[in-house]
Amino acid sequence: MTKVGRDLNLALRAVLGLTGSVHDRLWLFLATLGYLASAGWGLYAVGSQRPHANRGTFLLILGAFALHTLFLHQRGVAIQHCPITNLFETLAFFSWSLVLTYLVIGPVYRMSILGAFTAPVVFLINFFALAAPIDLPSALPHLGWRLELHATLALLGLGVLGIAALAGVAYLIQERQLKRHVLTSWFYALPNVGRLELVQQRVLVWGFAIFSAGAFLGFLIPHHGPDDWVKIAWSGVVWCLYAALVVVLALGRLSHKKTALLSVAGYVFILLTFWGINSLSEAHVFPHEG
Amino acid sequence: MKSMNAHVICGGLTFEEVPVELREKVAFRDAQLPDALAQMRNMLGLREAVLVSTCNRVEYFGATAQPDRAAAAWPDFLRRFHAVSDDFSALSFQMHGMSCVEHLYSVASGLKSMVVGETEVLGQLKEAYDVAHTHGQTGKWLNRLFQSSFAAAKSVRSRTAITRGHVSVGSVSVELAEKIFGDLRGCRVMVIGAGETGERTARSLLRHGVISILVANRTFDRAATLALELGGEAVRWEEWEEHALDVDIMISSTSAPHYVLTQEKLAALVRRRGRRPLFLIDLAVPRDFEPSINLLDDVFLYDIDDLQSIAQTHLRERQTEITRSMEILKPHVERYMEWAGRQTGESDADDVARGLVPA
Repeated sequence: MTKVGRDLNLALRAVLGLTGSVHDRLWLFLATLGYLASAGWGLYAVGSQRPHANRGTFLLILGAFALHTLFLHQRGVAIQHCPITNLFETLAFFSWSLVLTYLVIGPVYRMSILGAFTAPVVFLINFFALAAPIDLPSALPHLGWRLELHATLALLGLGVLGIAALAGVAYLIQERQLKRHVLTSWFYALPNVGRLELVQQRVLVWGFAIFSAGAFLGFLIPHHGPDDWVKIAWSGVVWCLYAALVVVLALGRLSHKKTALLSVAGYVFILLTFWGINSLSEAHVFPHEG
Repeated sequence: MKSMNAHVICGGLTFEEVPVELREKVAFRDAQLPDALAQMRNMLGLREAVLVSTCNRVEYFGATAQPDRAAAAWPDFLRRFHAVSDDFSALSFQMHGMSCVEHLYSVASGLKSMVVGETEVLGQLKEAYDVAHTHGQTGKWLNRLFQSSFAAAKSVRSRTAITRGHVSVGSVSVELAEKIFGDLRGCRVMVIGAGETGERTARSLLRHGVISILVANRTFDRAATLALELGGEAVRWEEWEEHALDVDIMISSTSAPHYVLTQEKLAALVRRRGRRPLFLIDLAVPRDFEPSINLLDDVFLYDIDDLQSIAQTHLRERQTEITRSMEILKPHVERYMEWAGRQTGESDADDVARGLVPA
């Protein structure tokens, strides 16, 4: 085998995690390929002007989600914990919650088009999770129900807020077309702005409620050592940002466009800081098992 | 023994060749169709017959062993039935075999309509076929032909963008309103000025379910008359701004030489009416709404040029879908021709294509 071939082989095995004993990464790798295919099909569906092409995006994402779930299940069985014990698993769970929300919102609100927005984001999160050397075994904390619920709800809340932001992106695209009087294939593929703003705002409120529940549950968990102030401060900033957004939304003070813009901006902040904050938050110290 | 030879044939007058002044002379009313079918079948020597009469075309479809006789007799039939003296022989098209099948499938798919992609023609074909079928004028050739044409048209509509986008100012306005509000049931409309274009646009919106229409005009009587016709309510000119707080769509077509609504005035109005979107349709020349209004959040302003430009774009886009649609129709046409070949014991579809369909 040539040197290039050996390097490629090693790189692939490293990405798949095949050098170690945990082969579950293969499922996440396949799921990520599925999301890539979904993203490609989603763009095609918008451009193709074929009314039923969005169903394909939904089905592809559903297939990838099954593989994604299989990964989380296998990892959970392997480590005997909820698979959020290192940054790799946390990112995988975070992206999984995004897809889960999409799979619920899509059929309920007839918004399968959101798959064209969800799939690329999930692909990128998973790609970086797989490519970066972050799947490191950690000293496994004793995950009592409160801790599991705290982490799960917080991540699920972030996933739901993600879908709100993606609906916000869809709203901004549609609003821009209506304002500029230029009707591209996106105009026909996207739902009306009324439905987009409704979904965006409802999902935003739900996401905020779930994230708040998860975040506040964290205060009830007994722990040793110093508080993880970096993460607490970050969570506080995210919570305040969304709380302010929900309040002005309830008061009807902001236009739909500004609400969508703030929802998207808030989520971009989360995406840009999530990695760094969770890398720093190794300071989480929990009472160990036994 | 009775001959089983049959040709699927068609012919008639369409908007492409014949002006409306002539078409209207030979159009068939619904009540005339049963008689006309029987007479036509007899005169043209058809075993089966369907007569299609719309504002854009008067066409017959038939199955016969004598296609030349049918083609020659068609203009005479029109003259005699409608008691007119015009000679339609040079203006009528005649087709048989595969050309006829392709023609019907294209018509059903809206590819040969004046407004390409319109779907009304499919309903008209279905009605024409139902009348003929109910009166026993169709048999296996035309039953199969029409039913497969409906399936072919459905396939074209679902797999192409041939029906996408509206092509008149009224329908484009409805399409935009639906992209802003979704379901129009529940929307309130205000018509400012009693112009004809504004009235037509309001009627389009009414057909799509808007719940109430207010009409404001400088002359209150004209507002009242139009409101009565639209089933709405007239408001006095000096009060329209107050009423505008509750409406979702405003259509303006006054002859005012200045802006009726400025950005400053509307900004104050928007603040009072909350976050509900507002769709403004300015059909007036000179314009009634200050263009910078479109900069306000949750306000969508379209003038007459915007709407006409969108309608033209849609029409061009539909034209580009014709080639794709024809490709989709091909297998449907082939399937019919193969079936026709099997009916006649001939496996050579080419013979069938030439109209040679022996039994």
